Amino acid sequence: MTITQSKELNGRQIAFFSAFILPLFKLAEVPSLLAKFAKGDLLLPALLHFVLQTAILCALLYCASQSQERIIDRLKKRFGKWTSVFYLVYAVYFLVYALLPLLDLEKFVYAVFYDTAPTLFSFAFFFFFSAFLCVKGMKTVGRVADLSLFLFVVPFLALLFASLAEADFTNLSPLFEQPFSSSFSGFFYTLPHFSDVTLLLPLVLNLRFEKKDGVKITAGYLLGALFTLAFLAVFYGVYSTVASRQHYAFSKIAQYFPPLAVIGRVDLILVYLLCVLLFFATALPLFYSVEFTATALTKGNKLILSATVNFGAFLFVLFCNKYYDRIYSFFGNALPPLFIAFNLFPLLFLLLNLKKDKSNKEKLYAQIS
Amino acid sequence: MNKLPQALSKRLSENAQLLKKLLPSEDILSYAFQTEDNIDCILFYADGMVNKELLGTLVARPLSATELKNAQTKEREVLVNTRFPELKTVENPQDMLKEILDGNALLLVDGFTTGFIVGAKLLPVRAIMEPPTDIAVKGPREGFIEDIKTNMTLIRKRLKTPDLRFETLRVGKRSDTAVAICYLEGTSNKKLKDELVAKIKKISVDVIPDSSYISAFLSPHPHSFFRSVGTTEKPDIFTAKIAEGRVGILVDGSPIAITAPYTLTEDFQSSEDYFISPFMATIFRALRFISLFVAIMLPAFYVSAQLFKAQLVPLGLALTIASSVRELPLSPALEMFVVLFLLETLKEASIRMPKYVGMSLSVVGALVLGETAVSAGFLSTPAIIIVAFSGICLYTVPNFVETGSILRWLFLLVAGGLGPFGIVLLSTLLLVYLVTLEAFDTPILAPFAPLTPHDLRDAVVKYDMQSLTTRPKIFASPNKTRLKRSAKKDIQNKGENAK
Repeated sequence: MTITQSKELNGRQIAFFSAFILPLFKLAEVPSLLAKFAKGDLLLPALLHFVLQTAILCALLYCASQSQERIIDRLKKRFGKWTSVFYLVYAVYFLVYALLPLLDLEKFVYAVFYDTAPTLFSFAFFFFFSAFLCVKGMKTVGRVADLSLFLFVVPFLALLFASLAEADFTNLSPLFEQPFSSSFSGFFYTLPHFSDVTLLLPLVLNLRFEKKDGVKITAGYLLGALFTLAFLAVFYGVYSTVASRQHYAFSKIAQYFPPLAVIGRVDLILVYLLCVLLFFATALPLFYSVEFTATALTKGNKLILSATVNFGAFLFVLFCNKYYDRIYSFFGNALPPLFIAFNLFPLLFLLLNLKKDKSNKEKLYAQIS
Repeated sequence: MNKLPQALSKRLSENAQLLKKLLPSEDILSYAFQTEDNIDCILFYADGMVNKELLGTLVARPLSATELKNAQTKEREVLVNTRFPELKTVENPQDMLKEILDGNALLLVDGFTTGFIVGAKLLPVRAIMEPPTDIAVKGPREGFIEDIKTNMTLIRKRLKTPDLRFETLRVGKRSDTAVAICYLEGTSNKKLKDELVAKIKKISVDVIPDSSYISAFLSPHPHSFFRSVGTTEKPDIFTAKIAEGRVGILVDGSPIAITAPYTLTEDFQSSEDYFISPFMATIFRALRFISLFVAIMLPAFYVSAQLFKAQLVPLGLALTIASSVRELPLSPALEMFVVLFLLETLKEASIRMPKYVGMSLSVVGALVLGETAVSAGFLSTPAIIIVAFSGICLYTVPNFVETGSILRWLFLLVAGGLGPFGIVLLSTLLLVYLVTLEAFDTPILAPFAPLTPHDLRDAVVKYDMQSLTTRPKIFASPNKTRLKRSAKKDIQNKGENAK
């Protein structure tokens, strides 16, 4: 690695992001939601999500692999100033996307970090961090992804192993016990949490594709999927029929580990370690929103933009946390088409880029002949 | 200085008057004598900076017995008859002043427009000894001293290669301090060396009393409490860093040498790690990482557990703590602030106090303040134990004490206000800040972020010396090979034969 290369996103960093940061979006509320809809079949909707997401990711990586240029540069060449529309649309999407994880995080923080009732503004400090992150560049995501290898693997595996003793995997059998419609409902309701490709999109757009990057990223994503599925299996193994009431799954999964239960909630240290990445992951959609808006506006001040976006998000959390259930059902029932559309959007690049590269190749052949 | 004449006059009395006018300080002395044929000569020097005995024996005495009037070339006659080995001529009065102030003597002879610089510098220097901040149980014990020439010798002694280069610059309008850039030609990154030279040349300050001044000017983040350059007081560490591809800086008057680029992992490495088994070195490094984490986080977690999340502490321990803090007049956060403040004050005072007073201060601090405060019910025993343990842990990484101390205060502050949420949030903020922090094109968190698997061989886990065949990639050294493959095989074969 040269010094210049270290400044750009690379395939390994996106692979690590897929393997160690994306699963965090699914470790808090998703297990109880899936258990609520699909019960013992909770792995099925998750698996369905992963299959579809992997397919779209492969298509996106195929686009990236077609040229040495970044997709973002190719889009700019193709559409010129109109690319700003793409940026702005996605900026709004990420802003909407950020709201649900923020509400989840607020509830999670009050439940897991406090025995006492915290003040209303305690969570406000999260937005200082988020605003700070938003003014940083894309390389920050890559470098945090590098560190996530150490920050995720150790606490996650420790939590998983600590909960294995309590897990009864017979709770998951027989498979397909629930009607498929239940699993399908679970699939739809959890769409916002599984929109992994949209979170990977800004990174892949900025990737200067190198040989084997496609394999690395896909393998990373599959590893992340494996972590999630293993977690869901253990979670349901531990909590079975009461799993749907166990919110913030990863903070509860290892609380009954016999050697540690005697001396207190030592598992919370591991949970807090994971929270370092969880906070980063939750602020990420806001970061993308600011980044895309700044790119679209070109002359905009990123600091002001970041402050505005984060203050807006703070006000939303402050005033809407009372309507948590309603917002949740709105996201789960009314917005799935939006998430489907944005998840499928990268497939359009496939057509555009193939066409472009084909014409380039034809020009090249014409020159040679 | 601008009004200085460009050349000396032929009359010695005028020249002497000029020099006395330019250097009126009482410590600038002159010694007048005559040659055999009564031509006047004067030696100018700074008192205490020259070897007077040598001046007398090798300059004044031989010249007193020399006749200059009949000599064909008088300058040559002086140079031949003066038996001093280091002798040069200067024409410009400004250069003469610089040389006198630098510790050399100036010889002026009547009828000459040229001055003779006698390299009789004899500066008071302290002995080479083990630096108190970097003590090694195993390994070399030599440390840098305040004299730049001695420090350069200590490095040259370890790197007997023509590739070792020193590039000397003068910094400080008034102090005119010598600053030497040290690097290995063909191994150090030339771009980095040039960048350092350019930055040092740009420094425009009156006085450079220590290398820390240079560090401050080199830092791209002057307000950050994380360092941008590495420092060491030991020539063996300095040499090892130079050999890895870094560039070093020596400053006259400072025993602390600077190295760049700097990565945070450097602080967790000790020179001893390279003289013990890699397995033990790995354990010690891990211990330092954990100790630092404990030193910064423990007081914060203790406070947040008491105030916001009692579950963090085992029940038995929680009951013990509850019984000891039951009648305290201070809140847990305030109590921890007081104890930490006491620790920092004692630390500051014990560093600056005379040795013998310092001993009694320890007794007063540890016994009177600690013991009495607990028995009087002002402070609790657990708080004192936690702060004491945190203080000890922090000193396992001596180069990180200042930064660690600030971080401990910050974490305590957020723990008191926001509890464990504040601690985790600040950790995340710090993480994001650190991953973006760079100096001289090198990320401070390298080789972890960006991940450079090759360089992890000497980060926390220490590989054996035979495995460190190439230099760290992060320094972008043009000479990548450190140990040739054949040499590695030879070492392995010798090991097998020995078995």
